[in-house]
Parts: sequence; C-alpha cells; structure tokens
Amino acid sequence: MPLTSPSTTTPATQTILRASAIRKSFRMGDSRIEILKHIDLAVRAGEFLAIEGRSGSGKSTLMHLLGALDVAETGAIEYQGQDFSSMSAAQRSRLRNRHFGFVFQFYHLLPELNVLENTLLPPMIELSWIAFHAQRAALRQRAADVLDQLGLSHRLKHRPNQLSGGERQRVAIARALMNNPKVLFADEPTGNLDAETGRQIMDVLEKLHQDHAQTILMVTHDRTLAAKADRILLLKDGRLTTEPK
Amino acid sequence: MYKLLLILKYLRKRRIAWVSLIAVMLCTTMVIVVISVMGGWLRMFRESFHSISGDIIVQGRSMLGFPHYHEMIKRIEALPDVKAAAPVIRSFGLVNINNQIRSGVSVIGYPPNISQVNGFTTSLFRMTGAKELAFSLIPGHDYRTPPGFSSRGKDPKTWDGMIVGDGVIGLRKNKEGNVDRDTDVIFNAYVVLTVMPLSPEKATPDLTDKTMRFFWIVDDSRTKVHLYDSNTVYVAFDALQQDLQMDARDNEPARASDIQIAIKPGANLAAARDRIARIVDDVTTSHGYDFRFPYSVKTWEETHATFLGAVEKEKVLVTFLFSIISIVAIFLIFCIFYMIVVEKTRDIGIIKSVGATASGVASIFLGYGAAIGIVGGGLGLLAGWLIIHNINGLHTWLGKIMGIQIWNPEVYLFDTIPNTMNPREVAIIVAIAIVSSILGALVPAYRAARMHPIEALRWE
Ligand SMILES: Nc1ncnc2c1ncn2[C@@H]1O[C@H](COP(=O)(O)OP(=O)(O)OP(=O)(O)O)[C@@H](O)[C@H]1O
Ligand SMILES: [Mg+2]
Repeated sequence: MPLTSPSTTTPATQTILRASAIRKSFRMGDSRIEILKHIDLAVRAGEFLAIEGRSGSGKSTLMHLLGALDVAETGAIEYQGQDFSSMSAAQRSRLRNRHFGFVFQFYHLLPELNVLENTLLPPMIELSWIAFHAQRAALRQRAADVLDQLGLSHRLKHRPNQLSGGERQRVAIARALMNNPKVLFADEPTGNLDAETGRQIMDVLEKLHQDHAQTILMVTHDRTLAAKADRILLLKDGRLTTEPK
Repeated sequence: MYKLLLILKYLRKRRIAWVSLIAVMLCTTMVIVVISVMGGWLRMFRESFHSISGDIIVQGRSMLGFPHYHEMIKRIEALPDVKAAAPVIRSFGLVNINNQIRSGVSVIGYPPNISQVNGFTTSLFRMTGAKELAFSLIPGHDYRTPPGFSSRGKDPKTWDGMIVGDGVIGLRKNKEGNVDRDTDVIFNAYVVLTVMPLSPEKATPDLTDKTMRFFWIVDDSRTKVHLYDSNTVYVAFDALQQDLQMDARDNEPARASDIQIAIKPGANLAAARDRIARIVDDVTTSHGYDFRFPYSVKTWEETHATFLGAVEKEKVLVTFLFSIISIVAIFLIFCIFYMIVVEKTRDIGIIKSVGATASGVASIFLGYGAAIGIVGGGLGLLAGWLIIHNINGLHTWLGKIMGIQIWNPEVYLFDTIPNTMNPREVAIIVAIAIVSSILGALVPAYRAARMHPIEALRWE
C-alpha cells in the first residue's frame, strides 16, 4: 500500500493552498510587533516548497496560519478554494485531521501512548468508537505499513521515551501521513537531530514527494535543507521573496 | 475513540489521579456508613415504636381514661379500613419483686386480642408470637408461697400472671452477648403490685383505696424501646381495670385509657384517623360530652413525634455534616485535575493540532472525572457494604483492641448496630459521588477545551 494515494483530483499545476495579504502581529507588553506584514503565497499541489528564514523571522507563525492552527489578523487563506475564515472551528479541526499532516521540531508525541497508538491518533480522533472498531484491522494494518516504510516495524509497542530522536520524528511523520494528507507541513523537522539522522528524515520527505507526489511545505532556517525542495521562498522582515539561486 | 483510550491511559499511568479516586471512595464509604447506620437506627426506632402502639391510638388524656370504649370499638371495627381495635389501660404502680426490688413502674393492661393490633406478643420470650395473650400461670410449674411471705391466705396457684419488661428484673448479658435469662429465677419470682384507683367523683384520691394484687412472673418482654423495657409491667386488662376501679360500677360506665387500632395494609393512615376521630366524637357527644374524660386521636407517628422527630433531625444533621466534608473531595478532584490539565497542556496542543475539537478535549477530562467518580464511588460502595455488613463484628473487635464502646445500647436503644442498607439511598449517594467528580473536573476541562493549540504546543 502506498504511503499516500497519488492525488488524481488535483493536477500538479493547480494551487491547493493560497494566502493573500496575510498579516500577523503579537502583543509584547504594551506594544505590538508585526511578525508577518504582507504575505502572498500559492502552494501548488504536488510541489515541495521550502520557506527559509532566520530564527524569529516568523516561519513557524506562517506555517501555523497556513495549517489552520492559528488565525491571521487580515488577509485570506484558502484551501482548495475555500476560505478558512468561512469555516467553523470544528470544520478547521476536521480539515487538520483529514487534509493536513504536521511534523514539528519537537516531535510532539503523546508520552502515554505507544508508537502504534500515536500513529493511529488521527483516525482515532476522526472516528467514533464504533466506527474505529469496525475498521480497526484495516487501520492497524495501514499504521503498521506506514511505520514499516519508515523503518519502525520493530518498535510498534514502544513508548516515545524509549525511542531515539530520529525514531520519534519518524513516528511523528507516520502520524502525519496516517490520514493521507493533501498537504504535509514540516516545521524544522530535523532541527533537533544530528546531521546524519537529519539527512535520513530529509530522505524520507524527498522520497514521499518523488514517489507519491506528496505536497510538502517545509519551514527551515537551513539553506542546505531548503535546497532539497522544488522551490524556495525567503521570509524576511515579514515578507516573502523568491530565493535568488 | 481517542477520548476513551486517553482516559484509560491517564487513569492507569497518572498516579496522582488515584489520590482523587481514593478521596471519592472514602467519602462515599463514609456517607454510606453514616446514612445506613442512622437510617437503620431510625427504621428500628420506628418499627419498635410502631410495634408497641398500633397504627392509630385513641388516647385518654386524663388518668381517668374515657368511657363508652366498647361502643367506640364496635363502630371503629365496622370501618372497612380497620383490621382490629383493642382497649388498653395505662397507669402507674409500685412493685415489690421477691422482696428484693421495690420500684415505681408503668403498668399496662392488655386484653387477650392485643396481638391483632400491635406487636407486643412478638416481644415476649416464652410466648413469642402468641395469637391470644394469656396471663395465666405456667402450666405444670410448682407454685409455692414464698417462705416468710404473708399471702393473706390466698393460694399461690390462684395468683395472677404478670409479664415484665426485661429491664425491670435486671437481666444481664452473658459472655456471648446474649441476654442471660435464668428462667428458674424469673418464673419463681413473685410480685406484689399496688395501684391507686382514681375516682371521677372525688377531687383527690383516697389513700385507703389502694389495691394490692399478687402475681407470678409468667414471661418477660423486650420491645427494644428502652423506656418501656426498663420499667413497665404488663397485666391482664380486666384485672387492672378492676383494681383501678375503671370497670362499670354504680352509675359509671367502664373506662379504658386508650384504644389501639390496627388498620388494613395499604389503607390511608390519616384518612382512617379522621374517620375514627369522627366516630369517637360522635359516641362521646351522643352520651353528652364530659369534660372529665378528654381524649385525642393520633396516628402512631404523631404519638411518638417527639422521639421520632429528634432521631430524624439527627439523621439529617449528620448527613449534612458529612456532605460538607465530602465537598472537600470535590475540591481535591478540582485541584488534581487542574494540575493534570496544566501538566498535559502540550498533549492537549498535540491532539488539537491533529484535529481534536474543543468539545472532544473537554469530554476527555469530564470522562476522566466521571471515570474517577464511577470507580471511586463503586469501590466506596463496596467498602461501605463490607463495613455495614460486618459493623457489629468490627465494633466488638474495635472495643477489644482499643477498649472503646461507641454504641451504647442504653443510649441508642438497641443492642446491635443497624446493618442494613437502603438501596435507594445508596444509589443516590453513589450518583452524587459521580456527579461531584464530574463537577470537580468541569473547570479544568473547560480550561483545556479553550486552550489554543499553538499556545499549548509552545508551553514549557
Ligand atoms: N504567541 C506569541 N506571543 C508573542 N510573541 C510570539 C508568539 N509567537 C511567536 N512570537 C514571536 O514571533 C516571532 C516569530 O516566531 P516564530 O516562532 O514564528 O519564529 P521562527 O521563524 O519559527 O523561529 P525559529 O526558527 O527559531 O523557530 C518571535 O520573535 C516570537 O517571539
Ligand atoms: Mg519555528
């Protein structure tokens, strides 16, 4: 079974995620700092897009906005033509669950659950108890397959604190891929790993992109990592610019 | 689905939750034990009082009693709701038992059919549950005039029989905790009962009117109401009526102190009381109302309202006090859940980022609270049941190792601590435990639900 089903509905050139005139600021005491001033962005289906920027430039903030985890002050973000602001909180939750996958710098696994349960978290959240149990065998098989392709088949019953950083990040990737996301968001996925392990994780992402046309939006401060992407955008002073190669 | 899994994981892996679970359990146990003991006590109390007084009582409010009771009984017994009615005489007297005990006692005169209206015969030792209450001497017993006793020529075989409250003759408990009844001593004990007749004609009693009668003790009674058992003797209605000169004589009709009435099961007590009151009023007025013979018609609960009311209030008070203590448990759950929510902030961020809704997150913690309530309440129920069912053994054991006796039968009226549970009360208590646990989890759950996924993920 492939990690993600090839997107047949959206041709490779179609825009899947579009941000226009995004602005986001945070309050610091009495003053407000504008982190994102004016962001225009179009993510094409099937592309591997990297957003590069210095630490504190607002990369994570932008990714959170694009991933419907946070709300922009002005501007609009559309996913497949639908504006986030027209969705209810529950609809955005469902969007994150069904269409998006997130990989964070600090893995963010649930410590009480084992590798398999962590991977099964998205369908467990999506489905009712009865529905989950009806499809239990198939879902477990899917999770086991995903974990197997990430080289974790011997770790299914381990808990996160029994794993290395690289293994944890692969579990996080498996969880992100579990529901066949249309867009995979990765925020400094190698930021917490040594160079060799980081390279392995990057290989996984590249392979996903090449073999399954997975749309990936990666955020990093590392130019060499960003170079693996199809397209690089530079985030600076709250604006995106095309990277001069 | 994830909710159930997380609830189970948190229950198993978070030891701190066990503290709240144990708190819920202890509070449940405590309230169940208190309510069961108090409730059982009240029940025993009511049963005992009910048992000695019938359902409805026409009570003479003067020591003279009231006349025309035959006519009243006849008409009362004709009522469809009434099972039976019987006259009773209450008075005071002096007893001299075996020349050893001399004391003032309550004297009650019961007719043979008293078992139809109250439970007196069930309180007897020898004649337990007799259909007809007989005060005749024990057949085959060798009655002899006690040495040195002047019976004024009266043959001891013709004396009357008397039943005494078991406290009157000072019964003791033996080592096994059973009442030690040395029947040889009891049935060989003679009693001289002196009563003072009152005449409706005279303003003050004439001391030379006193009547004396010789008795053999033929049985002893334990109604469980200490007040009765400690200083009441029971004799035949007719004999007492005669001695008190309440029988029909000259131009005065016979009198009784009370009429005790048993109503049929399921009949309405208050309605029956009102109907009976009307009959009694009717009979009284038909003979011309006589201010010397006031009476009242009451249900058994009204008759013993002061005692029953006190116990009922005590139960409410104790329940209230322990409920206040239980509020502590709610706060404990609140604090512990708040801690868990804070500690789990990042996890909340994770599951929200993976698509959990606010209500989903809230239901994890509410479900967690409910789980603690259900498990804690269930264990509390179990512990309460074990304690209640072994409470008398526990009490004896505690008494043995620590030398304390909390349950004093003199004070609490009964020898044993009540050990029954009322299913309805217990169900309510467990339900309250569960609801309280959910309440304690409410604020933390709300906080978790409102948490912003990004802020939660950034939480250090
Ligand atoms: N909730 C917040 N409240 C206040 N300031 C915030 C908040 N979130 C982000 N910031 C600020 O916004 C700026 C950008 O943060 P962000 O996390 O997007 O940076 P980044 O580009 O991802 O940096 P890094 O590469 O270190 O992860 C930082 O200066 C940060 O302090
Ligand atoms: Mg960042």
